[in-house]
Amino acid sequence: MADAVIQLERVQKAFRTPAGEIVPILDVDRFEVAAGEQVALEGHSGSGKTTLLNVIAGIMRPDAGSVVLDGVDLARLPEAARDRVRADRLGLVFQQFNLLPGFTAIENVLVAMAFSSVRPDRSRAEALLASVGLAHRLSHKPAALSVGEQQRVAVARALANRPRVILADEPTASVDPGHQQQVVDLLKQTCEQENVALVVVTHTPEVAEQFSRRVRIESFNRVLQQLAKPGSVAEGGDA
Amino acid sequence: MTLLGIAWRNIRQRSLTSSLTVFSLALGVGLVVATLITGGIVRQAFESGTGLGYNMIVGAKGSPLQLVLNSVYYISRPIENISWEFYSEFLPASRRSDGEDGDFAASVAVAVPICMGDYYRGYRVIGTNADLFGKLQRSRGRSFEFADGRNLEDASFFEAVLGASVAAETGLRVGDAIKPTHGADDGPEHDPFVVVGVVAATDTPIDRGVFVNMEGFYLQEGHAKPLDDDDEEAATAVVASSEQTDGPAPLPEAQREVTSILVKTASLPGLPPELTSMGMRSVINEGSDGQAVLPIGEIRQLLDLFVWPLERLLLLITVLVVIVSAVGILVSMVGSSLERTRDVAIMRALGARRSHVLLTVLLEAVLLAGCGGFAGWALGHLVVGAIGPWIATNAGVSASVLSAAPGAELLLVPFLMVLAVAAGLLPAIVAYRTDVARWLQRGG
Repeated sequence: MADAVIQLERVQKAFRTPAGEIVPILDVDRFEVAAGEQVALEGHSGSGKTTLLNVIAGIMRPDAGSVVLDGVDLARLPEAARDRVRADRLGLVFQQFNLLPGFTAIENVLVAMAFSSVRPDRSRAEALLASVGLAHRLSHKPAALSVGEQQRVAVARALANRPRVILADEPTASVDPGHQQQVVDLLKQTCEQENVALVVVTHTPEVAEQFSRRVRIESFNRVLQQLAKPGSVAEGGDA
Repeated sequence: MTLLGIAWRNIRQRSLTSSLTVFSLALGVGLVVATLITGGIVRQAFESGTGLGYNMIVGAKGSPLQLVLNSVYYISRPIENISWEFYSEFLPASRRSDGEDGDFAASVAVAVPICMGDYYRGYRVIGTNADLFGKLQRSRGRSFEFADGRNLEDASFFEAVLGASVAAETGLRVGDAIKPTHGADDGPEHDPFVVVGVVAATDTPIDRGVFVNMEGFYLQEGHAKPLDDDDEEAATAVVASSEQTDGPAPLPEAQREVTSILVKTASLPGLPPELTSMGMRSVINEGSDGQAVLPIGEIRQLLDLFVWPLERLLLLITVLVVIVSAVGILVSMVGSSLERTRDVAIMRALGARRSHVLLTVLLEAVLLAGCGGFAGWALGHLVVGAIGPWIATNAGVSASVLSAAPGAELLLVPFLMVLAVAAGLLPAIVAYRTDVARWLQRGG
């Protein structure tokens, strides 16, 4: 893929259990996402989805292989450099939104800017919150916001540093069914407007089917393929 | 938003814990500041006594230290009085009723009498003569100056001169009249004395004294010594220098006493003044009329044995209090580290480097210490202002909210910062080591 913003090649990741046993979680020969592409990544619980996101985000280093994010191979970088790349080129949206409770809506967006190489820009933070319909809630703390509003702040925060990619881990899991559609629409629309690639991890078929590209992790994670073979022992890491 | 802003937000987020930590630190720092200031003031006050314009004090037999405290610092009770006859032994012929030099006159350059026992609004009233400000020097060769008015005149019995602090605190001015009270603040009132001068500030106990003409002092109720039958004849003798043209007659010599004499010794031919004073002291102390003490020696002993060790002990205790308060910062920050772990993990996921996290937590500790330190500094000054009257009564020096120990107070800043960093280091390291991936696996 010529214009890929995410390129994983021969990536392997395993965990060591307290008993010293090595448990493989990921064995990905190739996984790519193009610039501006929107992908739903499906898989059952324990299939390694979150581990995959952590590896793409540079939070975890793979045991082997390369993880190229916007042209930078994270697997070769030390932790501080991976942090810098994550701050500058990646936006994360969590299942629990994970807003900082002591900070107002706009401060939650500004915090993300504090760690990037871009100067914190209050007017951009205000514009982002306005674009998700929260212009009137800038100075409210998360506790004073509804669940839907919190998720919108989380989306605005993910876009704060003009990232090339947004990774969303089960963004609808904490939202009641009535609001799930709003969250998906918000993510898709804002990423489209900002030309940002979007990878949404979900195990909800109703969410996944709204994306033009749906990928099941079993299709490229050879660990799961091995487990699915007749006669193999079913094992799953805490991932 | 800067790291400092994030640290400040974190503090505000835990407002109750943060407030209690700041309060605890403020108490400790307040105690240190108050101790530093009062210790400095008291030390300075006692040290100011080492630059006296006289080198010997003669008073009744008893504690030499008490004589010094009483005569130099105007604190503690006078021991007893000495007789006018004994005082006259220090005077030249021109100032004696019998027209002959006193036994010690040749060794004395100046002898200033001090009479005590009266008060004015909490200040000691000292009966003396014009020589105190006219012939003695305030310290290290500097003469007394008057901020307003003039010195006492021996012939004007009912005049008073005020120390600088007395004038500033009472608002009295030249021309005002004061009525000293006998024996205590609530004792019977004496006749009025007119203020004729205000001595320029000296930073010595002189600033807190009310000085009245000794002749007027003697004429007040309860100040005349009762006469024996043998003294009847002597009662007619009147001091040579105490004649005034009008007004009441001076008190006869036989009815006079003085509390102490401030003596500046003269150099005898071939002898330095120090040896003169040593020799004269030995002669006086061998007799039964009174004792002579060299105030500088007593003051040095007082400083070495009491003031400096006590100051160091107090400082040690208060520094320990501050360290305990700093431990409070540590406990507070460690206590909130669980809550912090979540925030740190979020920030790390957003791209914060470990160094950002470390610095943010240390900044929190420094901010807490800064707030506590500033509040404590203000509290310390307020405490000094509040106990100022007590210090004045017991140490004979003035202290107010504005009193300061600039050097020591400045040293508090780096001291507090080091303490804050030390206290914040453990929680900062805990935050530094936060495993984002593990937390994200658990949280998401």
